[in-house]
Amino acid sequence: MKKIFAEFLKGIIKENPTFVLVLGLCPTLAVSVTVSNGIGMGIAATFVVVGSNIIISLIKGFIPDRIRIPCFIVVIATFVTIVEMTMKTYSPLLYRALGIYVPLIVVNCIVLGRAEAYAQKNSVLNSLFDGLGMGIGFTLALILISAIREILGSGKFLGHLLFKGFEPIFLFGMPPGALLVIGLLLGLFNLLKKERV
Amino acid sequence: MREILRYGAVLALICITAAFSLSMVNSFTKAKIIAQANAEEQASLKEVLPQAERFEAVKSASEVIYYKAYDNKGNFIGVAFKASGEGYSSTIDTMVGMTREGTINAIKIISQNETPGLGTRVAEDAFASRFAQKKLSMVQEIEAITGASISSRAVTESVAKKAAEIVEIIKNER
Repeated sequence: MKKIFAEFLKGIIKENPTFVLVLGLCPTLAVSVTVSNGIGMGIAATFVVVGSNIIISLIKGFIPDRIRIPCFIVVIATFVTIVEMTMKTYSPLLYRALGIYVPLIVVNCIVLGRAEAYAQKNSVLNSLFDGLGMGIGFTLALILISAIREILGSGKFLGHLLFKGFEPIFLFGMPPGALLVIGLLLGLFNLLKKERV
Repeated sequence: MREILRYGAVLALICITAAFSLSMVNSFTKAKIIAQANAEEQASLKEVLPQAERFEAVKSASEVIYYKAYDNKGNFIGVAFKASGEGYSSTIDTMVGMTREGTINAIKIISQNETPGLGTRVAEDAFASRFAQKKLSMVQEIEAITGASISSRAVTESVAKKAAEIVEIIKNER
């Protein structure tokens, strides 16, 4: 039980997909403009990584090693399409805001990375918690980045105006702002890691 | 040779399972997605022409060109239509309500993905209200939002262009 919990926790800080593994930066840069987009993207990716981890670890004995990548991609694409349809049904607004980045979860390297590095070698239960931890780690990273960008870039948090008379720094709402924020946070994470060692 | 056949069979089996489960999900969500889109369209129609009681879609080959609006007595009071223009980082779709006399009644931005804090301000009421009761010839002169001139122009130009087209269509019908 303790080991499973450790599998879950490692994705959140020690092996955080965004700040430590530095995977899946393309959607991170693109959708982290507002916190609501960040949360939506995070939940969608969490569902996909948990689902694909479970299925892949279930059928790992059945998949020949040499064609494992196409098999993984089919499994992942199936989950992404399910997310896409569900999002269209229940939250068309979010679907429109995330745009092309929902179908692009297929090529998010966090998902394929977990299938390749973890799910195909571990039990179903462990893979489930690994996926959950990675997904939540990714979501938290997105929330952190998008909160900084939304507050500085438009003076809002989750769409609510925070303070009156604040002149927003538009740069943070635009792509260069995303690169700056992620770069500085990566540096901060490395600094903290060094100090602990 | 036998290896290839085995690989093909495994991959085919996975694909068949995936396709089957997707078709299941699709059969659940398809109707709801269409209903959602319709409900959204009706809500935005009501918003741009609140006086209207009933909207009638005018179609050309299954595509809606514009809506005719009637009040509760069945009088034709105006039209509503969708205009779309290229903004700074996305296509901005606007629902426009126009009276019979050819003045803009109200507009509503129905979808956009512009720069937050700048371009997204076109979707705020402060900008939309600049269109209220404007004559068609004056739409092009509506003041743009500071710092969001590309997004603002996309809205004003697409609305003006589409409105002119619709006026032309209605004229021909009479």
